[in-house]
Amino acid sequence: MENEDFDRLLKICRLSMEKDAKDKIKHDIDEIIAYFNSIDGVECSKYSPAYQPISVPARKRPDRHEPFPEPGKLLKNSKIYRFFIVGPKI
Amino acid sequence: MKAGIREFLAEERPEGYYEKLIRDLEEANEKLRMFSVINRELKSGMPFSVKDNICVKDVESTASSQMLSGYIPPFNATVVEKLDKNGFGFIGKTKMDEFGFGTLGVNCIEHPLNPFDERYVTGGSSAGSAAATAVLRHHVSIAESTGGSIACPSAFCGVVGFTPTYGLVSRYGLIDYANSLDKIGIMARSASDARYVFEMIKGSDKYDTTCVDHEVTTEGRRKLIIIDQLIKGVDERIASSFDKTMCKLGNLGYAIEHRSVPFIEKAIPAYYIVSMAEASTNLAKYTGFKYGLKVNDFSKNYNDFFTEARGNFGAEAKRRIVIGTFVRSSSVKSRYYEKALRIRRMLIDSLNSILKEGFIISPTMPIVTPKVDEAEALSPLEEYGMDSITVPPNFAGLPHVSFPSDYIGGMPVGTQLVTSHFNDMALFDFVGRWEEDFEYRFKYNVGAL
Repeated sequence: MENEDFDRLLKICRLSMEKDAKDKIKHDIDEIIAYFNSIDGVECSKYSPAYQPISVPARKRPDRHEPFPEPGKLLKNSKIYRFFIVGPKI
Repeated sequence: MKAGIREFLAEERPEGYYEKLIRDLEEANEKLRMFSVINRELKSGMPFSVKDNICVKDVESTASSQMLSGYIPPFNATVVEKLDKNGFGFIGKTKMDEFGFGTLGVNCIEHPLNPFDERYVTGGSSAGSAAATAVLRHHVSIAESTGGSIACPSAFCGVVGFTPTYGLVSRYGLIDYANSLDKIGIMARSASDARYVFEMIKGSDKYDTTCVDHEVTTEGRRKLIIIDQLIKGVDERIASSFDKTMCKLGNLGYAIEHRSVPFIEKAIPAYYIVSMAEASTNLAKYTGFKYGLKVNDFSKNYNDFFTEARGNFGAEAKRRIVIGTFVRSSSVKSRYYEKALRIRRMLIDSLNSILKEGFIISPTMPIVTPKVDEAEALSPLEEYGMDSITVPPNFAGLPHVSFPSDYIGGMPVGTQLVTSHFNDMALFDFVGRWEEDFEYRFKYNVGAL
């Protein structure tokens, strides 16, 4: 993996690290990805992806929308910062 | 003497039993570092411990991660709730590899040590659960497996480790590692104790939509099938011990056959691709804001705030987040993630077809228990390679059990038995029969009556 791609990944993951740690982790990751490439030779196109190992019925939780009568109260006692609003627990 | 849960619950405990139990356990824990929390208030019931990635109401649950330090769940996991209501008493939280990321139990601060010999690892990731089971005479541990986290430490600590069919035990209250792979299971000192607990905790749950209410069968098999690729390259001492075990089983009347399964060795890279992809999304919610560790410096901008908080992940967690994010990238998703899911389907089909005829049997681990310094010197890739035998059943969601079958140089060795989806009960029957002629050894018996 190119350094530039690695830096971009770290940014997406919201991770940062010192140079030594970064070099070590990049080395490990390069080795691991090379190992992952060993699945390239497996012919399995006729198989559908198994997102779950067993058949799981498509059940949904019976969540429902309920209007909150006074939305203003949601932010009562909140603290407002430049980038964040920290609200009270409801 | 094989007194189990039923006998313990039926018997009267002497006065002061639980106080002494906790004192003795704390003393053992000083040495072996199995528990992150010990419940000093325990006064009744069959003691059960809980891996630190399973929520217990009002008890800090961190998955052994700094990132979750201070997280106190306001609810019980379903499995804990069921045990609470059935005569069991919570004794403590057990240490683990951070978020389950590890094979040998050394990826956490002050990792547990093996009760048979403290110079050796316990195995992981359910490290403390296995050690606790080897230490406590009357106890079961609720553990969790993604790719072998119950089987491996059970083998290294000489206990019975049962991993059920995916979906049979509710995952509600589990701090997820990889949702399509995580299974809550049991560690115990006998097959009958593991079975007792399994019957109590299985079944559908309105809080876990992936949990199924399926009939669980007890279809015995007279044939034991050895997959040649799985035992290729195992340590010579393990190979010789396994031969001895197979001879004993042959004498018990089992037929033994050798087979090969196309591409089974690709289960490990495919498993790690899927598990890291899922882990990277699960760990995205840990930002120093809502769960556990709080960064209270709100003067920072959005990216700096989250990046600083996420610096608290351990090295292995960071590696898995980066790789998991990479394999899900749109440019490579079909090459890695989707292909790994197709390999999983192929593997499930192949294994299911074999499992109609018999159980699949193998050593649980390809190596004898390593010493702590040996384990810490391994590269990540070398450590992943240790999962070669436990990954296939875990990746396919198949029920399996590791049971003690030998001792090499005083350290326990495990054998792994796999059966078809939902035939979980047959595993207990098999191991129960094995236990009739094989005495498990323990160095500790804390809480013995």
